[in-house]
Amino acid sequence: MTCLKSLPLAAAMLTLAGAAHAEWPTDRPIEMIVAFAPGGGTDIMLRTLAPYLEAELDAQFPVLNRPGAAGEITYTALSQSRPDGYTVSSLNTPGFLTMQIDRKLRFDPADLCPIARIVEDPGTFIVPASSEFQTLEDLVAFAKENPGAVSIGTTGVGTDEHMAMLQLERTAGIDLTAIPFGGANEAKTALLGGHITAIGLNVGEYATSDKNAMRALAQFAEERSVLAGDLPTAKEQGFDVIMSSERGLATRCEVPEDIRARMAEAVDAALANPEFQAQAKQQSLPLSFQSGADWQAAMPARLDRYRDIFALIKEGQ
Amino acid sequence: MNTFDLLMLGFSEAMTPANLGFCLIGALLGTLIGVLPGIGPTATIAVLLPITFFLPPLAGIIMLAGIYYGAQYGGSTTAILVNLPGEASAVVTALDGYQMAQQGRAGSALAVAALGSFFAGTVATFGIAIAGPMLSSFALNFGPAEYVALMVFGLLAATILASGPVLKAIGMILIGLLLGMVGTDQATGAERLTFGSLDLFDGIEFTVIAIGLFGFSEIIANLERSGSEGVKLAPMSRMWPTREDFRRSWPAVLRGTGIGTFLGILPGGGATLASFSAYSLEKKVSKHPKKFGTGVVEGVAAPESANNAAAQSSFIPLLTLGIPSNNMMAMMLSAFMIHGITPGPSVLTNQPEIFWGLVASMWIGNALLVFINMPLIGLWVKLLTVPYRLLYPAILLFCCVGVYSMNNRIFDVLLAAGFGLLGYAFRKAKCEPGPLLLGFVLGPLLEANLRRTLLITQGDPSIFVERPISLTMLAATVILLALMILPSFRKKREEAFQEEEA
Repeated sequence: MTCLKSLPLAAAMLTLAGAAHAEWPTDRPIEMIVAFAPGGGTDIMLRTLAPYLEAELDAQFPVLNRPGAAGEITYTALSQSRPDGYTVSSLNTPGFLTMQIDRKLRFDPADLCPIARIVEDPGTFIVPASSEFQTLEDLVAFAKENPGAVSIGTTGVGTDEHMAMLQLERTAGIDLTAIPFGGANEAKTALLGGHITAIGLNVGEYATSDKNAMRALAQFAEERSVLAGDLPTAKEQGFDVIMSSERGLATRCEVPEDIRARMAEAVDAALANPEFQAQAKQQSLPLSFQSGADWQAAMPARLDRYRDIFALIKEGQ
Repeated sequence: MNTFDLLMLGFSEAMTPANLGFCLIGALLGTLIGVLPGIGPTATIAVLLPITFFLPPLAGIIMLAGIYYGAQYGGSTTAILVNLPGEASAVVTALDGYQMAQQGRAGSALAVAALGSFFAGTVATFGIAIAGPMLSSFALNFGPAEYVALMVFGLLAATILASGPVLKAIGMILIGLLLGMVGTDQATGAERLTFGSLDLFDGIEFTVIAIGLFGFSEIIANLERSGSEGVKLAPMSRMWPTREDFRRSWPAVLRGTGIGTFLGILPGGGATLASFSAYSLEKKVSKHPKKFGTGVVEGVAAPESANNAAAQSSFIPLLTLGIPSNNMMAMMLSAFMIHGITPGPSVLTNQPEIFWGLVASMWIGNALLVFINMPLIGLWVKLLTVPYRLLYPAILLFCCVGVYSMNNRIFDVLLAAGFGLLGYAFRKAKCEPGPLLLGFVLGPLLEANLRRTLLITQGDPSIFVERPISLTMLAATVILLALMILPSFRKKREEAFQEEEA
C-alpha cells in the first residue's frame, strides 16, 4: 500500500529533478570557489575569466574565496557540494598533487574531476642583472666548486621552486641551499638586495617583473613558453628539470558528464575570445587550454615524478 | 625635467575632473570600509580590481590608492569610539583614543587623528617625490640579518608599550609569540599547534585576535559594569582640540611621521611596526609616561601619523622597484599589471605621468579626506549617544560579518569569540593585550628571518655583527635594555645602602 502510494510521488520528484537538470545552467548562479586569497594569480585569472563564461553559458559566476591550506579547504568544500553543476572551483598543480603525497587529506582527490586547464606556467630561476651567472651552466659550475654556497629563494618546502631546485641538485650532482620565503615578492626583494643568489619564479611572474633588474637562466618546461620564446629550457642546456604550475577549473566527478562537457566547451570558447586573450596577454597569463579528460590523464605521471622528488626531501631531513 | 616640473606634471594629471572624481570615490569608499571593523581594504580592492580594467590606468590606480589610505583614516574612528581596531596599525590608537572618548574628548581625539594623518601623509608624499628612489635602495639593504636585529629591537620596545608591570608585559609577549607559531612551518612544512585542524593550517588571522581581545572583551566588560545601560560617558566637553592638545600633539606628530615614513618602506609589517614604535617612542620621551593609556593626546597623535605616513611610503618600493611591501601593495601591483604597466625604474622614465600623477593624487586624496572627515566627526561622536543596548548588538554584528568575510568561514568567528573570553580574563588579571599583539606580529617575522640568515651563512652567526645596520640596531637594543634595567638596579642598590645604614 505504502509502496503504491509513494510511487507517483517518486515519479513526480524524478520529473522535477529532470526539469531542474534540463535548466542547467540558468537555474541559479554557479558558485566559483577560488582556493587563494583575493588578488593572487589564480584569483585574478578566474575573476577575469568569469564574465566571459557568463556570456558563453548565459549564467552567473559569482566568485567566492576560500583560501587556506594550499587549496585543501576549497577542495574539501567542493567535494562536499551537491553534484548538480552549480559549484566549481579552482584547481592548481603541483599543490593538488603534492598534498596527496605528504598529508592526510580531508577529501578524496578521486572525487574531483578537472573541467579544463587554463594556464600552464613553467618555473624559472632568476638572478639579479648584476650577477656573474649568464646561464644555468654557470650557476651549476660555481655550485660544484662551492657546495652549499648557492642560495635559492623558494616559497617553502615542497613548492614548485623547491622541487625544481631538488631536481637540479640531483641531475647536476650539486648541493644548493634552499631559503624559504613567505611569498614570491619577499624572495624578489631579497634577491634584488643581493642577499641570496637566485630565486625560483614562474615565467608569468617573471614577465611582469622589471627585466632590467633581473635575468632568467632557464625555464623548466618541455617546450618554451609563449611568454618567453627566447629563454632556453633547462633541457636545452643539458639539465633534466621539468616543473610548471597549472591552473584550471574542477568540479565533482558525480556531476553529469554532459554538464561537465558543456562547461569545458564554454571555457574553451571563452579562451578563444580575442577580447579575453588581449586581457590575458596584459596580465601575462600563459594560456594553455587542455580538456579536463586530457589533463586528468596526464596527472598520474606528474604525481609519480613529484613522489620521487618528495623522497629526496625525506632523505635530506 | 627637475623634480618640481615633474611634480607639476603630476598635479596636472591628477587634477583632471575624472581623476579628481575617482580620487574622491576611492577616499570615500576607503573611509567607509575603514570604519567597518574587519572589512579591510585588501578584500575591497580585490573585488574592485576587475572594474578598473575599464578605466584609464591612472584613474583606476588613483581610486585603489584612495581606498587604501582612506581606510587608514577610517580605521582610527572605531578604535577611538568603541575600542575596536579595524586594522593592525590602529591597535595602539585604541589605547589612549578610547580613554579620551570616555572622558568626553572623542571629538578632540578624532580631529587630532585626522590632522596628524594629513600632516604625515603630506610629508610622506613629498618624501616619495623627492627621495623615493634613494630610499628604496636603502630598503634593499635590509636583508634577513637586519630584520632579525629590527625585530629584536621591536620586541624589547613592546615591553615599554604596557603601562603595568614589566613581568606581565613579557608574559603577554610570550603568549603572542606562541600564538604566532600556530600553522605550517615555512622551513620544514611541519604543522605546529594546529591540533589536526585544517582551519589552523595557515595560522591565526591578526584581525581575529584583535577583534576578540579588544572588541568582544570590551563589550563583555561594559555589560558587566553597567548592564545594557552601557558606559556612562562624560558629557561631551568640546568638539575641537584645545590649544593644549595642539601644543602637545605636534612634536608627537613629527616623530610619528618620521618613524612611519622610514618603517613603511620596509617590506612586511611596516605600518603596524610603525604605529607600535611611534607609541613606544612617545612614551619613552614623555615627561609623564605613567599617564599613557589613560587618554593622553600624544598617544593618538603619534601612532595615527605614523601609520598614515607608512601607508604612503609603502608605495616607494612598489613604484621604484616593482616590489610590493605588503598584501595591499601586491594588489596595487596587480592593478598596474592589468593595464600592462610593470612598475619599476622604467616607469619612472618612460611613463612619468603615471608615477607623478599618483604621487600628486595621494596628496590631493589626503586633503580630500580631511574635508570628508572633519564634518563627519560630529556625526561619529553622536553615535556614542546611541543607547548601548542598541549599539552593542550592532558592533557585534559588524565584527562577526567582518571576521567571517576575511576567509568566508565560521571557524574564524568562533575563534574570535574565544579570544573575546580570553581578553576578558586578561582584563580581570590586569594584563594588557597590546604587547601580545606585537609579539604575535613580530614573532613569526623574527623566526623566519633568523632561520633565513643562518641558512644563507650556513650556520655562522657572526653576520649579525659584521653588517653595519644590524650591528647598530643590536647595539641600540642593548642600550635600551640597559636603560630599562639600570634605574631599578640603582633603586635596589639605594635600598640596600639604606638598610646598611639603618
